[in-house]
Amino acid sequence: MAVIEIKGVNKTYRDPASGRETRTLENIRLSATDNDFLVLLGPSGCGKSTLLNIIAGLVPHDDGGEVLVQGRRVTGPNPKLMAYMFQDPVLYPWRTVQKNVEFGLEAQRVDKEEGRERALKYLRMVGLEGFADYYPRQLSGGMCQRVALCRSLALETDIVLMDEPFGALDEQSRIILGDELVEIWRKVRRTVVFVTHSLTEAVYLGQRIVVFTARPGRIKAVIENPLPRPRSIGSAEFNGVVDTLWGHLKEESLLALMREKAIEEQVALPKE
Amino acid sequence: MKALVSPGAARSGVVVLVLIAWEAFARLAGVNKILIAPPSEVLWQIVRIFATSSDVPDFYPHMWVTLWELLVAYAITASLGVLIGALFAGSKLIGDAFEPIVLVLYAIPKVILYPLIVLVLGIGMVPKIVFGVMVGIFVVVFNTAAGLRQVEPMYVGLARSLGYSKGEIFFKVVLPAAAPTILAGLRLGFGYTIIGIITAELLVVNAGLGFLIDWASFNYFTPQLYALIIITLCVGVVGNGLFSVLERRWVR
Repeated sequence: MAVIEIKGVNKTYRDPASGRETRTLENIRLSATDNDFLVLLGPSGCGKSTLLNIIAGLVPHDDGGEVLVQGRRVTGPNPKLMAYMFQDPVLYPWRTVQKNVEFGLEAQRVDKEEGRERALKYLRMVGLEGFADYYPRQLSGGMCQRVALCRSLALETDIVLMDEPFGALDEQSRIILGDELVEIWRKVRRTVVFVTHSLTEAVYLGQRIVVFTARPGRIKAVIENPLPRPRSIGSAEFNGVVDTLWGHLKEESLLALMREKAIEEQVALPKE
Repeated sequence: MKALVSPGAARSGVVVLVLIAWEAFARLAGVNKILIAPPSEVLWQIVRIFATSSDVPDFYPHMWVTLWELLVAYAITASLGVLIGALFAGSKLIGDAFEPIVLVLYAIPKVILYPLIVLVLGIGMVPKIVFGVMVGIFVVVFNTAAGLRQVEPMYVGLARSLGYSKGEIFFKVVLPAAAPTILAGLRLGFGYTIIGIITAELLVVNAGLGFLIDWASFNYFTPQLYALIIITLCVGVVGNGLFSVLERRWVR
């Protein structure tokens, strides 16, 4: 059964100063099933994060087309249904680790005692139960991101939306946190939509990988990841999948790169 | 490497050395007793002033006048200052429309307005309170507005994505995030309010600690003058200490 259904969604940004319109997403049709681990992969500026924000109800899409989550139209953030994780951990410095994890539960008036237990449960899963009373400034970047992960998971929603959640971390931390995420995902069975621009991360984590074109973002290919878990980075099979993805993505990345350069050097853009 | 002395010990050491040097200098032959009073004598005067056995007339009534003026002035400074600052930060229209006016008022040396205040409000406690507020309120307004404006937009975005309402976001996210800056403004505002009140008492001399300081100076009661200055300073030091306690409790 499709948990998330996106039917012909477009998104256009209008620059209020110049009135110029930029089309970010074009005719997106996509669905995610129960227990899916869907990765959105694409060159920078292709609108993959925008799509995630549209699913989350944080950003409206253009008229026409619709986004259904569990059969209902998305009208705004719905934290009972979808947890959202940002690229930055966004921890409140005046709250302890524990209190930061509980922050999402407080919004839903979850019983205090239960909230505490749930927070601890997820902190334990990422090995941070010993840091529950610490303040964010006492933690490393990777630990902060783990706390943010706990905050999203503690909501115990059916759907978890993640916008390059490990993008700001070094590669080792990325892999370790990815492992933890997959481990938890297999244990608690959620639908995960995960945005990244890293090929390795996409192949390492994704069950299905959606490749986007350069702006305006269209879906270029949806690839079923054939690799069994646990996956080993750098094995021949792993590199095979990466190569397939790169085959789809290379041209788009080049286009995106050329555009960035053109903007930097104030050169006229080639016709889109 | 471990330091040989702690910062606290170094600080106390320097203070003691200065006091000894001061005492010695004041007791040298040829030093004018009307200009310099030794610290031991000043300390003794402080004790006598509090015991009301000194030459200083009506110490407690005058101190209450100053403390009462300070209390009322600071209550207005803090509440009105935070309110105006919050309005500036909360509404772009209000901020853009009125902040330039407040900035101009801030740049005026307030002392030149005091004769006008006295003309309009007379010489009681009210003009002194008004002057204290005028000197103290600006830093509270500016810090409150800056603190609220500088709240990380992601802090608010996160709370929004978690389903918090606007009011909850203000009290649970915006206020605690802005608290260090607002509190710093309130602390500075307290210091400025004291300056305003004492200045006003020294300009129109009829009551308060400012009156006593002027009286001691006028009558060459030098040790009493030193003692009164130190007592006035202590009001500020105690207030500042209270803010340190608050900051340690509220701000992480």
